[in-house]
This record gives sequence, structure tokens and C-alpha cells, in this order.
Amino acid sequence: MTTIDRDASGPEDLQKLHNDLAEVWANPAGLKALTIVNHTTLGLRFMVTGMAFFLIGGILAMLIRTQIATPDQGFLTPEIYSQVTTMHGTVMMFLFAIPILEGLAIYMIPKMIGARDLVCPRLTALGYWCYLFGGIILSFSMVLEMAPDSGWFMYTPLSSSEYSPGLGSDFWLLGITFVEISALSAGVELVVSILRTRTQGMALNKMPLFAWYILAMALMIVVGFPPLILGSILLELERAVGMPFFDIAGGGDPVLWQHLFWLFGHPEVYIIFLPAAGIVSTLIPVFAGRPIVGYGWVVFAITVMGFISFGLWVHHMFTVGIPQLAQAFFSAASMLVAIPTGIQIFAWLATLWLGKPKMKLPMLWIVGFLVIFVCGGLTGVMLALVPFNWQVHDTHFVVAHMHYVLVGGMLFPLMAGLYYWLPLFSGRMPSETIGKWGFWLVFIGFNATFLIMHWTGLLGMPRRVYTYDTGLGWDIFNLLSSIGGFVMSAGFAMVLIDIALHFRYGKPAKTNPWNADTLEWANKLPPTPYNFVSLPTIETRHPLWEHPELPQEMEEGKHGLASADHGRREMWGTDPLTGKVREIIHVPSNSWWPLFAAMALAIVCISLLLRWYPLAGLGAAVAVVFLLRWSWENGVHPKAAPNANVTPGDPPLHSRTMDGPGVWAMTTAMIANGSFFLSYLFGWFYLWTISPEWRMPETSPLSLIALVIAGGALMGGAALMEKSVRGLRKQQERGLAFNFYGAALLGGIQFALILWVMVRANLAVTETSHDAILMVGLYYALLHSALGAVLSLLQGLRVGYRYVGLHAPFEPVVVAYFWRYNVVVFWILVVALAVLPRVIGG
Amino acid sequence: MKAIVQRLNLTHPGHFVGGLTLWSIWFVAIYGGLSVACAVVPPEPDQGAFNHINITLLLLSLVTAVLLAGLAWGCFQEAKQHKGRQHFNAFVSAWLYVFSALGVVFVAGPMVGLPPCL
Repeated sequence: MTTIDRDASGPEDLQKLHNDLAEVWANPAGLKALTIVNHTTLGLRFMVTGMAFFLIGGILAMLIRTQIATPDQGFLTPEIYSQVTTMHGTVMMFLFAIPILEGLAIYMIPKMIGARDLVCPRLTALGYWCYLFGGIILSFSMVLEMAPDSGWFMYTPLSSSEYSPGLGSDFWLLGITFVEISALSAGVELVVSILRTRTQGMALNKMPLFAWYILAMALMIVVGFPPLILGSILLELERAVGMPFFDIAGGGDPVLWQHLFWLFGHPEVYIIFLPAAGIVSTLIPVFAGRPIVGYGWVVFAITVMGFISFGLWVHHMFTVGIPQLAQAFFSAASMLVAIPTGIQIFAWLATLWLGKPKMKLPMLWIVGFLVIFVCGGLTGVMLALVPFNWQVHDTHFVVAHMHYVLVGGMLFPLMAGLYYWLPLFSGRMPSETIGKWGFWLVFIGFNATFLIMHWTGLLGMPRRVYTYDTGLGWDIFNLLSSIGGFVMSAGFAMVLIDIALHFRYGKPAKTNPWNADTLEWANKLPPTPYNFVSLPTIETRHPLWEHPELPQEMEEGKHGLASADHGRREMWGTDPLTGKVREIIHVPSNSWWPLFAAMALAIVCISLLLRWYPLAGLGAAVAVVFLLRWSWENGVHPKAAPNANVTPGDPPLHSRTMDGPGVWAMTTAMIANGSFFLSYLFGWFYLWTISPEWRMPETSPLSLIALVIAGGALMGGAALMEKSVRGLRKQQERGLAFNFYGAALLGGIQFALILWVMVRANLAVTETSHDAILMVGLYYALLHSALGAVLSLLQGLRVGYRYVGLHAPFEPVVVAYFWRYNVVVFWILVVALAVLPRVIGG
Repeated sequence: MKAIVQRLNLTHPGHFVGGLTLWSIWFVAIYGGLSVACAVVPPEPDQGAFNHINITLLLLSLVTAVLLAGLAWGCFQEAKQHKGRQHFNAFVSAWLYVFSALGVVFVAGPMVGLPPCL
């Protein structure tokens, strides 16, 4: 693509380029700062908010340790203690660990892969607001002393309305689901950004390892979170409406919740670990002064972990009464995961061995990680053995193991990364002295707390008991653990003081202060909103080691896309495998819509909590209107990219092609949707085959004929959408609007028929889980038919406004993908819900 | 055989996920199959480990392991013939197929000794 000879142009030209970029990518101040969609700002907001929740979670941990420091304590009541333990786990896992790592990825990925932003900036903003509002709603339950108290995994029936009649469980279910919208948003756009916006020449095998880790994490979020979203919806429906999904008497099964929770919960451990390991794989080569040993083996290990972690969920359920052979499958699979973990650890050790490590502050935290995580991994292999697992189940041994893995495997690398990238965030260096004090206090305090907790557990102390009698042999160990906990807190206080002080007293950082190899250090310190003045061609894994002059050249606008007078926010759209440039991706600018949509969703969340269903319905409708309006300002809309002019020699804008990032985003979103759907099918077949009181009616209440006609309408609509796309590929746009309106009409017919089937079935949703789960399936199909119809209708309208046509053929491709998905899942649903019961019977 | 290997395009990074996807499908099939079979057609408890359920699951495992081993072999062949990006892709895929095949053998191992529905 274009490489600009800036030497020939004067400094005025360069200054104009900087000014143009600054104007196009400007972040507004004041109230309008709420409209910012830029990844740098939002990544920082995610991380700062995550740190705030970390402090809340930490205070809760100290309350726990104070209560059980000595026997027979009355510092907390049993009710409050249960709330505190539940919220400690919930806050740390859902409001701190995942969001802060997502924030780091959101901040870092575009800078590392040579892009100017993530591919869907408004989705980043929506994700942030959903996270913030969901976190506030959930945390507010503590202020009201109504916090959830059934443990962070909310096992049924303890969390069901019979045993948890207050609003605590509802706060958890609705708040967490809200927060998970945020996680899924980040997951989708990180996948697409890494695959489609790497700078020119950056083939997959030249990508920084951190990007590999984040790609795996993001895909795991996309697949792993929907089972919990489904579980939360089902449990909330059971609590609010009385649909007995987890109630044995109504044909449900409480173990279904455990399956759905751990289908999410175990991969989540790796969702947290992988980005942290990505930090380790980034930092060790920098401080060892050499490339990582076994780049390909590390990619191998990342891929294996991403998959195998989904095959381990039952090892959290070894004591619920599963056949021994099935336990053996999961025990073996749990041991398999030690192989990729071991490969990474040996790759890191070999890199240190062959390099010349410099023990700077970030490296201290890395060494701490290696020690603690290896210990946590070893106790993990112990827990994978079924007989040992039975012995220590629900004891402090499990709590200690979990903290060794999560704190060792996530928090230590995160702290290393925080110190490493601090000069990028602020332009200043941290204090080595205060930082080392912080590290040693945390390291000593952590081991004093949790190493000792292994022994408390082996002596039989159960988890989540609010007190214990003296004389059981636990007294001294609990006291030492509590002292260790407070030492660790003092360490984190030192770290916070160091970070706070460095903004004022830290030495200004020089360019690339750690002599790193990756592109984020080609930014200014701190970075501009557009990251890079020009986008380089990168054909090496170590661009700054091999081309130290690169940051200067990029700053002088000597590489690609060095123009902004067109007013668009641009970056390269590249081939996911080779890194060859395909198109110019233009991303939207600042907007109120993400905030407004998140506020409407927050109203839905609060209304559902308070059982104000009409207001919840109104809020949902308003949210849909906001989201559709947001989607309207796309492509050639005057607020997006009405002008398609590009520099001669550059590729076209993505909205003028048929393979922009939206297609990839839709595909990735449908993977998440498919995971939700498969979880639903799992629930249906699980209850059918396992639930002891399952009641299948003699004849299916669903009209098969009506469903088949509805399927016919759906296929007709999908065919019209495909015809439109084929026509656009052949440069024909005749009848485009007609096809879209036709598809919308057929989608409407499908909607009406499903509604008719639903009403006619007269399902007793509060009496049997069979009818309840049928109803959920029908609602799923109903929502999808409605969405397909509305999206096609909007496409028809956009043809009229000339936002879609031969000049802008992109959007129909995206909508056609959705219709394809609809066709597949609808027929699977018909077979599963209406055909198989007729063939097999109850 | 050569034609099959060429058609599979084993230097494509899609094969990074190919072996583990097959492993996952196999894993769901044996766990789900075991659960359904134990609910619908449980064997007599005195039959021990060698009964219709375990034998069926073992055969499925054998077929899966052989398929994965074959794909690993194909990837190694491709890796030898290429350099750079394509070598990297085929080489990493090959070891992922090897891991998946060994993963099938390792996880299926208990079927030889444990009865299915106890």
C-alpha cells in the first residue's frame, strides 16, 4: 500500500497531519466525555473500575479473615458472613478478574497489533457501561443488607426461592447477567479485531504472543459465558414466575444448575489465566533480552488449554453421584491440562535460562507468579484424583488451591503487567523501592494466608462456616492465616501508594523504557487517541528490536494511512492469515447511544428485580429502539462514512466491500448465540433423560404443522436475503428493496405462527419443567424471528435512503448470516421439541 | 492418500482447532452416550467392564484416535514440504492432532477397567 515520502514534504505537512488526526480522534471533555468510544480511554476505565471492585472484594476478604481468626467469634452474624463470602467470590471473579483483564486487552491489543482502535468501538462503550451499571446494582445489595448468600456459584436449591426468599439471589442473577453482556461484547470485538485489524504484513505466525492469548480468551468468553446466562435466566424465571427447572417435584433437577454453572465456571478459570499467562510470555523475553523459546509450542499450549478447559467442568461435581466411569473421564481430562501448562512453564524457564534476566520490579512479580502458580497447579492435579477430591471436598484445602491458582495465576502477572505498562499509561516510571516493599509484603502475606489454609483444610475445616469450636486443631492455623491476610493487604496498600505517587513523583519515562520488542512501545508515552500517526508493515515478531527506528518513522508519517483530512477514523483491514491488506476499516466516532442503551438495560434490570414488569417491558423496548438507531448510523450514513474517497493505490473502505468486519462480528456473535442454544438443548435433553420426576405428555402440545409452515416462511425469507446478496455480488440491485421487505414479511409470518403455537399449546409452565422449558424454546424462536424481520425491514428502508445498494453492499451480507443461523437453529428446535417427543415418547 | 491430504489443506490454521474440535465432539459423545445408555439400556452389574456400552464407546474411541493420528501424520508430511508460515501452521497442527489422539487414548483408558453405570 502507500508508503509516503515525508522527507519530500515539509514540517507544515506533518504538523497538519498530526492536527487532522487529533481532530478526528479527539476525546471530548466535560459531560461529553461520557460519549467517548476510544479503546485507550475505555480500557483505562475498565481497569480503574476493576481496581475499585478489587478494593471492595479485598475489604470483604478481610472481614472474612477477621471473623474466623479465632474460634467462637461474633464479629459477623451468620447471615452477614454468608453474604460477605458470597459477595467476596462474586466481586473478585465477575467484577474484578474478568473485567480488568478485558480492560487490559481492550487497551493493549490495538497498540500491539498496529491498529488505531478496536473494530467496534461503540460496542466497547456499551460493554463498559453494562459492566459499571451491573456492578453497581450488584454491589448495592450489600448496602441494603440484601446481598446474595448462597455462595458465589449459587447452587440450587439453596439459591431457589424456598431457601433464599429475599432478593439476594435475584440481585446476583440479574446483576451478573447484565455484567456478562459486557464480557460478551468484549469477547466478540477482541476476536474480530485480532483477526481482521492487524497491521499490514503481520501474519498469524508473526503475531505477538499476547494477542494469541487474548484471541483464545475472547473465543472462550464467546463460548463459555452463554451457559451461565441461560442458567441465570432459568433460575430467575423459576424464582420470579415459578417455572420449575431446578425443582425435583416439578420435573426439574437442581444438578442441571451445577452443569450449566460449571460449563461456564471451569473455562472461566482459564479465561482469567490465559491473559495473565500472556503477560508473562510478553514480559519474560523483554527482561531476559531474547525471544521466547518455543513460540510455536506456546501457541500449541494456548490452543490446547482453550479446548481442554471445556472438558473439565464435572470435576467440580465429583461428589454429586455421577457414575465412576464418567468421573474417570473427567479426572483424566483434568490431568491432561497439566501438559499445556507444563509446556508454557518450561518455555518461560528456558527463556530465562538462555537469556540474561534483569530483576526489575515487573520481574519480581513474574517470579512470584512462577512459584505460586506451580504450587497451585500441583494441588490441582491432586484434586483431579477422584478419591482425594472426595476427601477434601468443600474444605479449606479447595479454597487454598483456588487462591493459589487464581491469585498466583492471575493477580501476580497482572501486577507485573501493571508495573511494566505503567510508563505507557502515565508516561512515568514507578518507584522500585516502594514497589519492592509492596511485592514482598504481598508474597509473604499471601503464602502465610493460603499455604497454611491447605493444612486447615486437611485437618477437616469446611469452607463457608462462620465460626468453629476451639480444640479442633484449627485455631492457630486460622490465626496465622488471618495475620497473613492483613500483611497481604498492607502490601497492596503499598502498591496503591506507589502507583498514586508515581503520577506526581515518578521519573519521566524515556522512549521504550524496558527495551521491549512489541509495537505498543512505538506509541507516545502516554499515547494519543489514534495511537499511531502512520501504520507500519510488520513482518517480524520483534519489530522494535529489529527496527529501533520504527517509532520515529511512524511518528513522522512515513508509513500507511497517514492522512485524516477525510474526517474518518481509519485503520487497515487485513487478511486474518497472511496480514495482507484487504480494505480500509472506518470505525464510528463518539456517541451517546451506547450509554443510553446501557441505561435502558439498567432500568430493565432494576424493574425485573422489583418485579415491575410493565416498566421492564418498556425499558426493553426503549433499549431496542436505541440499539436500532445506533445501527442506523452506519456505512454510508452521513454520520459514518458518506465519502468513499481514498488515497490512490489504497484499497476501498470496508463498507463498500462485502467482507468487512461486521460479517466477522456477526459470525462470532452467532457462535455465542449457538453456545446459548446448545446449552438450552443440553438442558432439554438432560431433564428428559435424567430428571426423576420428568413428565412428558402423551401427545406433544406443539402443533407440528404450524411449526413446519413457520419453518417454510423462515426459509422463504432466508432465500430472499440470499438472493439479494447474490445479486449484489453480480452487481445487480434490481428488486433489492422488494426482497428485503419480502423477507421481513415472511419473518413476520413466522413470528405470528410461533406465537399461535405458543398460545394454542396452553402450556402449564409453573407445573411441569417440560412445559416450562418448551416455553423458553418457543420464546427463543420468537425473538429470533422478530429480530430477523426487523433487520430485513431496516435494510429495505436503507435501500430507500441509498445507504444500501451496489455502492454499499456490505450490510445485507451481515443480515443474511443471521437468517442462515435462524434457519439452522429453528429446524433443530422443531426436531428436538416437536418431532423427537412424538417419535420416542416420554 | 496424497490427494486426500491436498484436499484437506493441512497448512491452513483452521487445523489448529480441528483436532481438538474432534476431541471435544468425541468427549461429549462418550459422556453423553454413557449417560443416555445407562438411563435407557443399562447392562447387568455382574457383567463388569466388558459389556455393550463400554465396547461401543471403546470402538468409537479407537476410530477417533486413528482418525486423529492420520491427520497428525498428514500434517507432518505437509510441514516437511513447506517453509515459513505454512510450515508453522502444519507443524503446530500436527502436534495438536497428536495431543488430541493421545488425549482420546488417555481419557478412554478407564473404559477397560471400570463398569459404566455404577
